[in-house]
Formats: sequence, C-alpha cells, structure tokens
Amino acid sequence: MTVGLEQYIAVSAALFAIGFFGVLRRKNTLVIYMCLELMLNACNLGLIAFSRYHGGMSGSVFVFFTITVAAAEVAVGLAIIVALFRKRQTVQVPDLNALKN
Amino acid sequence: MPTDTLNSLGEIAATNTWGAIYPEMILGCLALFLLVLEVVLPKFAHGAIPRIAILGQILLLGYIVVFDPSGCCNGVAFGGMIELSGTGQALRIFFLLASIFVSYLAMVSFENKTLARVEYFAITLVVTGALSLMAMANHFVMLFVALETATVGFYVLVSYFRQNVLSLEAGLKYLIMGALSSAILLFGIVLLYGAASNPALAGSSEDAMNFQNLRAFLEANPTDSLAIIGMLLVISGVAFKIGAFPFQIWIPDVYQGAPVSTTAFLAVSSKAAGFAVLLTLVKTFAPLSSVLVPVLTGIAALTILFGNFAALTQRNLKRLIGLSGVSHAGFLLIGVIAAQAVPQATNWVLFYLFAYLLGSMAVFAVFAHLPKVWDSDLELDDLGDMAKRNGFLGIALAIGIGSLAGIPPLAGFIGKFLIFVAAFKAELYVLLGVGIVGVVISIYYYFGVIKAAFFEVWRFTDEDEEAEAAPALPGATLTGLGKLTIVVAIAGSVVLGFFQGPLGSWLSGQ
Amino acid sequence: MNDSVSLLHFAIAIPLLAAFATLWAGKLGRPAVQIVSVTGFALPTLLAIFAWVSYNPEVAGGYDFVTRHNTGLEAVGISLHLGLNGVALPLFVMAAVVGLAAGLYAAQSKAENLSRYLFCLLVMQSGLMGVFASIDVFFFYFFHELALIPTFVMVGVWGGRERSYAAMKMTIYLTLGAMLSLAGLIALYVKSGAESFDLITLKAHLAAAPLSDTVSTYAFGLLLFGFGILVSLWPLHTWAPLGYGAAPSSAAMLHAGVLKKFGLYGLIQIAVPLIPGGVGQWEGWIIWLALGNVVIVGLVTMAQRDLKQMLGYSSVMHMGYAFLGIAAMSVIGVSGAVIMMVAHGLTVALLFMLSTMIHHRTQTFEMEEMGGLSKKAPVLSAFFVCGMMASIALPGPGLANFWGEFGIFVSLWQFKPWVLCVAATGIIISAIYALRAIARVFFGTESEDFQEVQKEHTVIDMTWAERVPALILIIVLFFIGFFPKTISSSLNDALESEPVYATTEAEQGGSH
Repeated sequence: MTVGLEQYIAVSAALFAIGFFGVLRRKNTLVIYMCLELMLNACNLGLIAFSRYHGGMSGSVFVFFTITVAAAEVAVGLAIIVALFRKRQTVQVPDLNALKN
Repeated sequence: MPTDTLNSLGEIAATNTWGAIYPEMILGCLALFLLVLEVVLPKFAHGAIPRIAILGQILLLGYIVVFDPSGCCNGVAFGGMIELSGTGQALRIFFLLASIFVSYLAMVSFENKTLARVEYFAITLVVTGALSLMAMANHFVMLFVALETATVGFYVLVSYFRQNVLSLEAGLKYLIMGALSSAILLFGIVLLYGAASNPALAGSSEDAMNFQNLRAFLEANPTDSLAIIGMLLVISGVAFKIGAFPFQIWIPDVYQGAPVSTTAFLAVSSKAAGFAVLLTLVKTFAPLSSVLVPVLTGIAALTILFGNFAALTQRNLKRLIGLSGVSHAGFLLIGVIAAQAVPQATNWVLFYLFAYLLGSMAVFAVFAHLPKVWDSDLELDDLGDMAKRNGFLGIALAIGIGSLAGIPPLAGFIGKFLIFVAAFKAELYVLLGVGIVGVVISIYYYFGVIKAAFFEVWRFTDEDEEAEAAPALPGATLTGLGKLTIVVAIAGSVVLGFFQGPLGSWLSGQ
Repeated sequence: MNDSVSLLHFAIAIPLLAAFATLWAGKLGRPAVQIVSVTGFALPTLLAIFAWVSYNPEVAGGYDFVTRHNTGLEAVGISLHLGLNGVALPLFVMAAVVGLAAGLYAAQSKAENLSRYLFCLLVMQSGLMGVFASIDVFFFYFFHELALIPTFVMVGVWGGRERSYAAMKMTIYLTLGAMLSLAGLIALYVKSGAESFDLITLKAHLAAAPLSDTVSTYAFGLLLFGFGILVSLWPLHTWAPLGYGAAPSSAAMLHAGVLKKFGLYGLIQIAVPLIPGGVGQWEGWIIWLALGNVVIVGLVTMAQRDLKQMLGYSSVMHMGYAFLGIAAMSVIGVSGAVIMMVAHGLTVALLFMLSTMIHHRTQTFEMEEMGGLSKKAPVLSAFFVCGMMASIALPGPGLANFWGEFGIFVSLWQFKPWVLCVAATGIIISAIYALRAIARVFFGTESEDFQEVQKEHTVIDMTWAERVPALILIIVLFFIGFFPKTISSSLNDALESEPVYATTEAEQGGSH
C-alpha cells in the first residue's frame, strides 16, 4: 500500500476528531489544552499534505504562522491555568463552577 | 534564486501600500510607547498613562474622521492579503471609537483595585489594530493571524482581574472555547485550501487561500463536497466569535466574569469583527449559497429566539446584556443574509453595529460606575432607584437600554427598521416573523431593567409603605471625563435616531 | 430638497423643547415648572386652532401646510414630509386641545417629581402632534412610538395600583401591535414597488398598479391586527382597561383620548385607501370583532364596579363603532368614524380627568363606596353628567358624539342592516351603565365609607384650577356639536377625493 494524500488527510481528520472529542469529554484542563494543541497540529498536517501533493507553497507557509500562534496561545493559556490553580488549588473542570445562573 | 521568483516578489512588494494601514501601525506604536512610558515615567505619574492612551486614540480617530473618512484607496493590497474598501474604513472608525470607550471603562473600573494597569491599555490597542486588519482581510492567512492576535489578547483581557476567581474562570472558559473555535476555523481553512488548490479541478489556484481565487474556484465547482464541509467549519468558527446559536454557550459565563471593560470590548468590537469577516466570507462563498443561506437562516432564527428566551430569566446584569447581545447577533445575521440580495444592506448592518456600539457603551458605562467591588456580581437589584442616586446615569441607562431595545427615536430603532426592510426586500419572511417575535420578547426583559432602575422604589405619594422598607443604595459619582464620555454615547444614540444627515447617501449605498 | 419651516414644525418642536426646559426649570421651583410646561402645551394649541381657521381645502392634493425635509434617509425613501388634510386636521386640533387640558390638569396636580412627570407628558404631546401631521408613513409610526414610550414610563412610575404589571402588559401588547403594523407598512413599501414611505407617492404607485390578492390579504391583515391591538380591538383589548385603570389621569387622557386613535387613523388614511381590496377580504373579521367590542365589552362594562375601569372598558367599547364605520367604507361612515374619534377623544379625556377629581374627594374608585356627591360638589356632578351624556351620544344638547354615531349608523343601514341592529343594542347598554354610574356616584344616599372619608377630608367642589381644563374640553365638544360643518365639510371633501370611499358610497347609495 502506498501512502498518498488520502491517507495523510485521513490521519489529519482522525487527529482532529480525537482532539475535538477530547476537549468535549475530558475533565482536566491541562488535558483539554493538549487536545486543543492536537487539533492545531492535525490542521498543520493537513496543510502540509495538501501543499506537498497539490504543489504551491502557501499551505507550507501557513504552517509557520499556525505554529507561532499556537505557541502564543500556550504561553497565555498556561499562565491563566496556573493563576487559576493558585487561587482554587484545582484544574478539574467540574470544580470550576463559580459562574452560573 | 531564479529571477522570475524575484520579479514576482518585487511585484508583490510594490503592492505593499504601508500608507494605507497607518492607523493600525500607529495603534501598534502607541501600545509600545505606553510600555516605554511605564519604564521611563516615575511611579506617581503612571496614572497619566491611560489618559495618554485615550488621547492618542482620540487624535487618531479625529484625524481619520476629518481628513480621511472614506479611506485613501480602494482595492487589494499587500499581494492580496488585505482589501481596502469603504466598509473597511467604516469598521476602522468603529473599532477605534469602541476602543476609546473600552479604555475609558477600564480606567473607571481599575480605580479602586491594585493591579498592573498599563498592560491592559497596551493590549487593548493591539487588539483593536488586529480587529481592524481582520475586517480588511482578503486572505485566510491574514484572517487567521489577525484573528489569533485579537483572541490571544482577549484571553489576557478577560482574566485580567487575577485576584477574582470569576475573572480567571471566565478567562479559562474563553481560552478553551476560543482555541476550540480557532481550531475548527483552521481545519475549515485546510479543507477549503485542499479543495481549491487541487490542480485536477477547474479553477484551482496555487494561492487558494486568497478570497478572489477561492471564489473563482467555487464558481467552477459549486458542488465540491470537501469545499462545502470546509465552508461549514469556517462558518462555525466565525459563529463562535459572534456568539450565534449553537455556539453561544460561552457567552453568559465569560461576559459575567470578565472585567466590565472587557465585556464591552467582547460584546461590541469582537462581535463586529466577526460580522465583518462574515460579510466578506458570505461574498466569497456566494457560489455555495444554496447550502449557506439555509444554514445561516436557521442559525439566525435560533439565535434570536435562544438569546431572547435565555435573557428572560437572568438577574445578573452582565449575563443579561450578554444574552441580549446574542439576540442582536441574530438580527445582524438577518442583515448579512439579506445583504446577498440587497446590496445596501451591508451598510445597514454597519449602521446597526454603530447603534449597538453607542447603546451598549452607555449601558456598560453605567455598570462601570455602579459601586461594587467586582462588577461580575452586579444584579438587577443593584440598579434600584437610579433616578435619585444619580439622575444622569439614570438617563444614560434609559437611553442605552432604549436604543438596544430598538425604541424610537433612538438609533437602535433605525438599525432594526433597516434590517427589517432588508429582510422584506430579500423576501426572508420567516426571519422577519422571528425577528418580530424576538423584539416583543426582548421588550420584556429590557423593560425589566428599566423597571428595576426606576419603578421599584420610586413611588406615588399615596402608597409609600413598601418604599421605606427597602435599604438605601449608595450613590454613584462621576468625573467630568466620565460625563463627557457618556454624553457622547447617549447623544450619538439620540441624534442618529432623529437625523442621519450625511450618513444618508452612505446608507443608501451610493 | 428642503422646504421652509412651517407651523407644523413648531407645533411638534415646541412641546419637545418645553419638555427639556421643564426638566431644567425643576431646579427653579414649582411655579417655573408650571409656567414653562403650560406654555409648551398652549402654544401648539394656538397653532392648531390657527391651522383650523386658516385651512384651505382647495389646495392641490388636499394637503395644506405641506413641507418636506431630508433627515438623512431620503435615498431610502423617507423624508420628514408634513401636512394636514381634511381627515388629519380635526384630529390634529383635538390632540392639541386634549393635550392642553391634560397639561393644565397635570401642572396643578400633586404628582411627585412634577417636572419629570411633565417632561414625559410634553414628549408625548410632541409625538401626538407629529402623528397627525405626518404625510410620511415612517414618521407617522415614528411619532407614535415617541408618544408611546412616555406612556409606559408614566404608568410604571406614577401609576396607581398594579402599575408595574399594567405597564408591563401595555408595553408588550402595544409593542406587538406596533411591530405588526410596522411589518405591514414595510410590506407596502416593498411590494408597491414605490421604495418610498411617502403616503402620496405610495398612493400614486398603488393606484397605477394595485397589489396582488395574496399580498393585499397579508398586508392588510398585518395592518388590521397591528392597528387593531393599538386601538384595543376585541379580543386583543385586555391591556386597555388595566392600563387606564393604573395610569395617572393625564397619561390616560392623552393615551385613551388621542394616541389610541392612531390605529383608526392609520386604517382610514393608509390601510384602506392603499389596499382597497383588503377590507373586502377581511370584512367578516372586522365586523365580528367590532361587534365583539360593542356587545361583549359593553356587557363587561356594565359589570364594572370601579369607576376608572368602567371608563376604560367603555372607551374600548366605543372603538367598535369606529371599526364598523370604517368597514362600511362609505364617505358618511368614515366621516362619522372620524367625528366620533374626535368627540370620543375629548369626552374620554374629560371623564378620566373628572374621575380622578372624584377620587380626590372620595378616596376611592369603587362606585359602591360613593354616593350623594352632588350635594357636596354640584359643579363636578354637572360636568360629569354632561361628559357621560356626551359619551353615550345622547342626541340632545349639541354634543359632537351624536353626529359621529349618527353617521356610522346611517352608513351601516346602507351597508348591512343586520349589523346595525346588533350594534344598536350598544346604545342601550351604554345608557344603562352611564345612568347607573351617575346615580351611584352623585345621587342617592351617601355610603358609610364616604361618610368615614368626609370625617378626615372636607369635600369641596371643583376649584378653578380644575374647572379650566374641563371647560376647555366641554367648550370644544359643544362647539363641534353645534357646528359640525366646521370639521365635516373639509373631512367629506378629503374622503370624497379618495376613490375607494367615493365609489363605495355611489354603489351603496344606488342599491338602496
């Protein structure tokens, strides 16, 4: 079996789906955060695969932007999670329920 | 390196009209300047920094409105990255105006708190610049980078009150939801790129993330399933940003927990940027409108109904305004859908946004001035007896709420009216009916706010027994700058309701 | 395109300016507030009377004092186009007179925060003047809402018992009515192809190319039910007695007397002439619902024990006659409806004012707890009897209401005699409740409750401050009663120039 564009995209879509359901199902904020990163990386894989198989560079170039953006997001996101942990001593989503009707 | 690549790079470089994006560059420089000031200025002078930020923005806004109201040039620039247009210029003015109000609100609500202050204003400036670029984006790379610059900024702004658990929790929720929506949007972009860059298909292009190229591809392949899925994912990502059903779940919590200035920023600027993107995307996706229009119609109808019904039971002020904002997003969606058939409707949507800006800012300014340690705890009862505590804030609240409710003679009414006309012209009868139902429901809770502020304690001389039992609420004080800011918001709401004057020809799309 | 400033601009702008001046005068004390606000009510009245006297029915198109300004939306088909025709003029004058009476009465009242109360009332007055002076349909609606919002505030803040609930109910009902009629007006704007809200332009477009049957059915339906809610068409009337029961008297005077006529005026001036086919399609609905107003609401009125509630229901009941007059679609029926709107506006305002005066003396609105007031307050009772007689359209002492109902009945006889027979029962019903109210409140023996009240309050007759506004209303009522031609001649001219009314008249006149 040769690995072609379809296989890459299938992997990319699978990774994206795993990330997506992870965000919805997991309780630990850090794991949710990893799932979000997984989704971004699934996108990166898709971009590179399309870029390589369809010719043209714009997909590959976009990946650099995505990586940078993801890095910025992690920096800010972890800061918020750490600040919240110092206040509440927990990062479990069910415990973070101060905001409600 | 081959010469033809160099030549094409040279061609692209020739379209880098830096002069056309001077407001964004000035905003960025101003943000850096504020950080420099914090280092340079002695500690006691730090109070001046927010004022410098506001003054700088007012000067920039004044320059644009007086000397450059319609934008220097139209057309695509930066090698297809952004498109300069009248709509873009109007939104630029919109974001600057909103950012001035937000900076002022932040100044007020930080007064009694020990916090690092300067960063808030610097981030506000950067986010405003990013939103403005987002509105002009003509390429998915530009769109994504600008969107993320704004979103990452918003993560910080939402969780800015880091002593307050509610603010941090709101920050975390916004972080997860924001990142999730960005990822969905990005995956949509990937699929669209994959479809439109496929050399086997007609109309494909190497630079498939450019909106013109994408549109050309979609015209040639209006039934490409990869592109349709990609489009739906992109629209979902944008729907998160504007808080449309079923992606509105984050709105009440985040609006409640965030500092009031950030809530205003999210409610007004972030939403407007989402609509700016949506207006561009709807044009780009026009060849797929047989799928897009029913989807958007369903979203709009459910958004209006959900926002209004959910707002009915709220007692927390910021949740209530947040959910009412969801229904406003629904009305704006009607305008966006109608804009496909009625070209003037694009400008009507912008007018609605301006009316929404002025009304919301008046309301949020009142919230910021109400004495409460954390504004996330503000409830309807905290509004009691506004007329006696501070008549001026009472009037501001009444006008702001009235304009949001779409009551004549205020700007919000003209906005809703134009949206209805657009819906009728585009024959969106179902949405029109839902819109009417929505207005009637919304009157109920907007009226509840007015009732809480004016009716509950203020009694006719005959039946005074209950009035004495209620505890007196503390008065609220205002500075001269505060009065001026609020006067701008309410005068804008009133004047635009009565007299649209020079905006008239712009509104009719001529 | 901007014309010069006309007296109509002043009639709209003066109350609005006076409203803000009153707010400011609140700092200077009560006399300043009274002077500023009464000026704000009196000047438009003088302008309206001047307009009435100098109105020239020969003008082209039937509209006098025409002026047009661009407020910014001209390119969308909206401009501030003002003018008066024979239908608008009497209502315009009536709005000014009722406004003056309500203003005079409010200025001497003991309402808390008087300057804010008068502010609301003056804004309302400004809107009322605008409603009847607008040729542009958008501004017609716009001014209606401008007058409506202060009503809610006045009911909610200064109202009597259940005011919060009453204000809420009124707001929701009236917003629904206003939104439906707005949808109908937008339907006309889009479907006529005129892309204009100007009534004259719309008329020209629709005369050349009438709406298709489907469009005319739903457009007229939207307008009928939208306006119907605003006029308290049965069974959508429940907001009215509740709202009027809770409203402070001046607000009830202006709303029941003037603002409620907006819906009927909209039907007569806009809906029926622009959609002539609509009345035929909805004829059964209009007749049955209007008969519901006359008979069912009439019976409910009879059962009322609360004086103010009774007046509220009776005003709902009389709206039924106006609907029937419009349904007949003849010049005589519609002109009867207009005269009745004018007369009813004056009468109901008078009665709401007098009922509050009675309340000040008896401390109750319950009619069971009153009685024998005529001995203590003969002038008040004379005014009240006069108002009640006018309200039930007694064909006697030159009261304007009679001419209105007479015209409506004549047109019903030509139109559908069976409707006349059912509607005529309303006369008996209203005679019963009116006479019973007069007997309970003013005559007979004093009830025990009233004697209790008298131990604490000395009951005095009407003061001059109370008599002046009542006299103004009574004088105009008698004037129109004795000289109905002063309004009916230009009114009939205006209606005859509408093809829809004139042709129906000819057909019905021919068959009988």
